[in-house]
Amino acid sequence: MSEINISAPRQQRSYAAQVLREVFMQWGARLGIAWIVVLVTVAVFAPFLASSYPLLLSEQSQISSPLLHHLTATDVTLLIIFFVVLLLCFVRISFRRKFVPALLIGSVAATLCYSLIAPPQLNIYEQYREQERAAGYDWLIRAPIPYSAKDYLRDVGDSGLKAPLSAQQQTHWFGTDENGADVLSRMIHASRIALSIGFVATGIAMVLGTIIGGLMGYFSGIFDMIGMRLVEIFEAIPVLFLLLTFVAFFGRNLYVMMIIIGITGWTGYARFVRAEFLKLRQQEFVQAAIACGLPLRSILFRHILPNGMAPILVATSFGVASAILAEATLSFLGLGLVDDPSWGQMLNQAVQSATFNWWMAVFPGGAIFLTVFAYNLIGETMRDAIDPYLKKSAK
Amino acid sequence: MHTYIIRRLLLMFPTLIGITIVVFSVMAAAPGGISAQSLVEGQNLEPQVKRAMEEYYNRLYGLNDSAPMQYLRWLNNVSPVGFTFDKEHNIEAFSLTKGSDLGTSFRYGRPVLDLIEERLPITMLLNVLSIPLIYIVAIVIGVHAATQRAKAFDVGSGISMLALWSVPTMLAGVLMIGFFASDQYWHWFPTSGLSQREALDMQFLPHWSSAVDLLLLFGSVAIAMAALITLSLRGGWRLRTTLMALLGGGLGFMMAAALPGESAALTYIMLMALLAALCGLIGYTDYHALRTGTMALVGLCVGAGIAFAFLQGTFVVGFMFDRIWHLILPVVCLSYGGFAFLAKLTRSSVLENLLSDYARTARAKGVPEQQVLWRHVFRNSLLPLITVSAGLLPSLLGGSIIVEVLFSIDGMGKLAVEAVQSRDRELVLSITLIGALLSLAGYLLADLCYAIADPRVSYE
Repeated sequence: MSEINISAPRQQRSYAAQVLREVFMQWGARLGIAWIVVLVTVAVFAPFLASSYPLLLSEQSQISSPLLHHLTATDVTLLIIFFVVLLLCFVRISFRRKFVPALLIGSVAATLCYSLIAPPQLNIYEQYREQERAAGYDWLIRAPIPYSAKDYLRDVGDSGLKAPLSAQQQTHWFGTDENGADVLSRMIHASRIALSIGFVATGIAMVLGTIIGGLMGYFSGIFDMIGMRLVEIFEAIPVLFLLLTFVAFFGRNLYVMMIIIGITGWTGYARFVRAEFLKLRQQEFVQAAIACGLPLRSILFRHILPNGMAPILVATSFGVASAILAEATLSFLGLGLVDDPSWGQMLNQAVQSATFNWWMAVFPGGAIFLTVFAYNLIGETMRDAIDPYLKKSAK
Repeated sequence: MHTYIIRRLLLMFPTLIGITIVVFSVMAAAPGGISAQSLVEGQNLEPQVKRAMEEYYNRLYGLNDSAPMQYLRWLNNVSPVGFTFDKEHNIEAFSLTKGSDLGTSFRYGRPVLDLIEERLPITMLLNVLSIPLIYIVAIVIGVHAATQRAKAFDVGSGISMLALWSVPTMLAGVLMIGFFASDQYWHWFPTSGLSQREALDMQFLPHWSSAVDLLLLFGSVAIAMAALITLSLRGGWRLRTTLMALLGGGLGFMMAAALPGESAALTYIMLMALLAALCGLIGYTDYHALRTGTMALVGLCVGAGIAFAFLQGTFVVGFMFDRIWHLILPVVCLSYGGFAFLAKLTRSSVLENLLSDYARTARAKGVPEQQVLWRHVFRNSLLPLITVSAGLLPSLLGGSIIVEVLFSIDGMGKLAVEAVQSRDRELVLSITLIGALLSLAGYLLADLCYAIADPRVSYE
């Protein structure tokens, strides 16, 4: 490139504003990523952060840990995967080599955990508190938030709504809901649902959209005709309505919901990928690959796809945000999970109650907002980074 | 052009059939699905009665046929041209004039068409009010952000629009109802519905018992608006910011005082600081149109507030104002996400055109910047906005589901939720059909607007 890349700024603007913008845009992405890292950590360590079971206790100088005893298979699997991924981050090998062992260890760990770990079926949250009150322990260490998500504090007496930090005997940082469960604890446990729905549903949508869009773009012709009609069909029904129909007719299950949100959200990816493939198909390097007689799989996935990945990544970031919103909306409409807490379901509880209790709306709603905002910030920064017009200004 | 429209209209049929097939197969494939048993289920009946009811439903809706047969029967009923049947469900004749029949709702026992005729105008009212609001706000903010590229307004509006776009509608709705409509905080707006019961018997326009009151109302609104508009147009930024911050502080004090029960000093300080900062920001901004518009709105509210505090005689709201009063919160809820998204789109599209060669040529010719912006650039930036407008209609229909459920407005959105929850096959299919028809019409309209906005686009 012999071109001189220095040119006068097109518009007069103060240096401070320019710097502010540059910093904030990167800052925005950093803040977004930081929030998601915090959320992932909270989700993985949820039982250690909020649990009614003591972390450690000594009873007649015998030390035991009820919390470890009550860990479920999901908890242990998540912990193992978290540490494996953390470890692999520090190992200096290529991403591709990291991915396979992570997947392998993860699946082995999951199988082992689900077959070996069997926590007690019956959860009696009160027993340790009652024992403690009766001075049955020498000492005990509790989790930072000593309430489980489904611990309705039946033993405390007047269980029910309490504003944040209003109760005398216990501290509820974010108050309690109508059943007497701690809102913060429920939110911590619900972060798992929000995160997993976001990742998995978007993953499904992306894979579906990439495959269909790729076929449409590469083969065009009849594939394109049928594919675009399919896209049109799915886009003409309001997504929320389609989701409602699916969920109302197919039970409420986390995995079903992930699949459904994935199935209803692929059209955007298909459009993007189709456009990219249509463009890239004509380029010399693809023509060269075809001329070399490379197999179709190689042309599609090794030559075209990596070059058309950027807009898909942007769409993915926004897609995770909308998947989280979709789950929250379904739960809000009373079509979400029945038993486990989710942020949307907590918002629904805030509406259902006779009086308006701000802590039940502000905290879970704020969590949804922050998570969606974080993903949107990341997506926005990525979009700016790949936008040729914004690149022009960065010269 | 005509052939293009006709071809598009013809292409709608396979799409519509595809859409209904998707929705129908979801319902048919579901465990339990739709059967006479699922309709009778839950009712506490004797076995014989139950069996009789099942048989009755089976006969009425043809529920014991195979799923494809059921779909074909529904399609035949809906299409204006098709077969007619005799009493034993045998094909009688092929008729061109049998008319379309959307069927009877399982749940309501009423013709679906009646239900939809009742509900559709309400949803349409919400959308007709929201769409212009969305476009006005989006264009006002987006165009200015593009011209102010990388300056404070651009960065600030960019971040706040992204934040606004990320606010879930449920959260905004719950908080608005909680703070501005419940009697625990400020009971300014009604919590639900579209009009009070009494308002249905009222006259259309409001009326006052004494002319003094009327004079007071119009006088105070006019004075407050005039004062703030003058301040916005004539005052220097220091004066504007100070006065607006003071006004905001005063309003904050009044709001804190209006809270039921004793308010803590912290509430006073927080509300005053918040409103002072907000109003100060409005006064500070150097964007004339936005500042004057917002300040006029603030003036309207302040003037009306003062007048209502001093009104003497009786005052009848009237049907129109009651309706408007009920519509404010739902429309705000429905539109903020849309204008946040559209403002960002407007900004990027205007920016792209501002940097283009033809804009530079126009400037070089000596065309004033405002004219370059509105005459040349803006018109070319409209294309992406039109494209989005096609998708806006279905998304608003979807968005109104949450808003209607939250504010208990009996529109299509609420009907859709109820239909889906009670597995009302005819209703679900009809709502899908009508929703899809509306959105396909939206796409077609957008494509036609394309040709109007850009002479280079032709569909010959």
